Amino acid sequence: MMAYASLAHDRQLFSPSGLRGARAGMRHRFFGPRAMNDEAKPAAPFNDLLVLVGRARDRRAFEALFAHFAPRIKGYLLRLGAGGAIAEDLAQETMLVIWRKAQLFDATKASASTWIFTIARNLRIDALRRERRPDFDPNDPALVPAEEPEADVLLMRDDDDSRLHEALRNLSPEQAQVVQMSFFADKPHSLIAAELGLPLGTVKSRLRLAMVRIRAALGAAS
Amino acid sequence: MTIRHHPGDELLLAHASGASGEAVSLIVATHLALCPACRGKVAAMEQMGGALLDDIAPAAMDDGALRSVMDRLDDAAAPAAAMLPPSSRPMIAPEPLRSYLGGDFDRVRWIPIGPGVSYRPLLKHSASRVQVIRTAPGAGVGLHTHGGEELTLVLAGGFSDVTGNYRRGDLQTTTPDVLHRPVTDADGYCITLAVTDAPLKFKSPIVGLLGRIFGF
Repeated sequence: MMAYASLAHDRQLFSPSGLRGARAGMRHRFFGPRAMNDEAKPAAPFNDLLVLVGRARDRRAFEALFAHFAPRIKGYLLRLGAGGAIAEDLAQETMLVIWRKAQLFDATKASASTWIFTIARNLRIDALRRERRPDFDPNDPALVPAEEPEADVLLMRDDDDSRLHEALRNLSPEQAQVVQMSFFADKPHSLIAAELGLPLGTVKSRLRLAMVRIRAALGAAS
Repeated sequence: MTIRHHPGDELLLAHASGASGEAVSLIVATHLALCPACRGKVAAMEQMGGALLDDIAPAAMDDGALRSVMDRLDDAAAPAAAMLPPSSRPMIAPEPLRSYLGGDFDRVRWIPIGPGVSYRPLLKHSASRVQVIRTAPGAGVGLHTHGGEELTLVLAGGFSDVTGNYRRGDLQTTTPDVLHRPVTDADGYCITLAVTDAPLKFKSPIVGLLGRIFGF
């Protein structure tokens, strides 16, 4: 919850008007002499930068992605209990994988933050838990497709980021707590419930309510 | 195909956030391959993960980290996703389960453990027990409860117990308080993927003994 409150600044800059301004100023912000200046960070059109890396192997765009995401990936790993040296190594490794896989990024299906989150998540499982991370394969002929085309993926709209941040900020403190723990406690919900001294059913219903609000914000049918 | 029994949001979220272990992710992801509705939910949850990553307190990288990473960039592009050969007949096991089986179910060497019941363990190193189970029409697994949670995903055929009827794609979640006797539907073999985080407790001592011997 503290994380939500402290990032009002970022959210403001993710508003649609902020994003448009950032797009217009992209060349100046990332390719001009002030490229790595701290104050140019928050409104970055990271999707565009990631597409540039994928299509053109653009090293300047990659540097801008590194400046924003590497410290956040490291923060994410520390939050999940990794030691400093391991978090540093894994954050660097995640950035290398982002470079290698950038051409697979599809901005119509996920934001850069979401795509990068899934890469960091999978690398952490692989490196720290030494487990495989089984997932479905969207190209598997045995996969059952949606009856309506694309109903199983969220089509990204320009203002999704601001809607999502707004919805997260508007969760009740109880809902925000279980959402945060789902992502950062690295334990099943039965243990989260035990830690909070709550019945599992209460944790489940808080999550269900949180997800209804998140999905409504993203325009998906619940 | 209409799926009526879905994983709860907490299971989908454990998979999306990376909190679940390999066994639970295997069964949830196999359900996802069969269930577009839950794929949509997981996509929203991953987007939430992206938003939380945006919001997290940044931790300064070491001096020289950028230089070190830039020096390791190569210009090789990602390998294109392998094109799968067109399949000549419909497959029963979707990914990721198919990789764990080493092929579709016709490749599985079933181990008989009772009248009309056979199984094959997967993922022996896992703390949870993961297995595929095949039961003949009308066959049952015996009245049992669980030491912990049991997840059962139907891949073929179907079964029924006191909680309802389960067909392909349906995922049943049972907790220790559920005492049930699943019976296979009459229309053919039922194949399920089952994950238990503690051994089943059988009411019949003989079936219980079989369970202990075979890790069922």
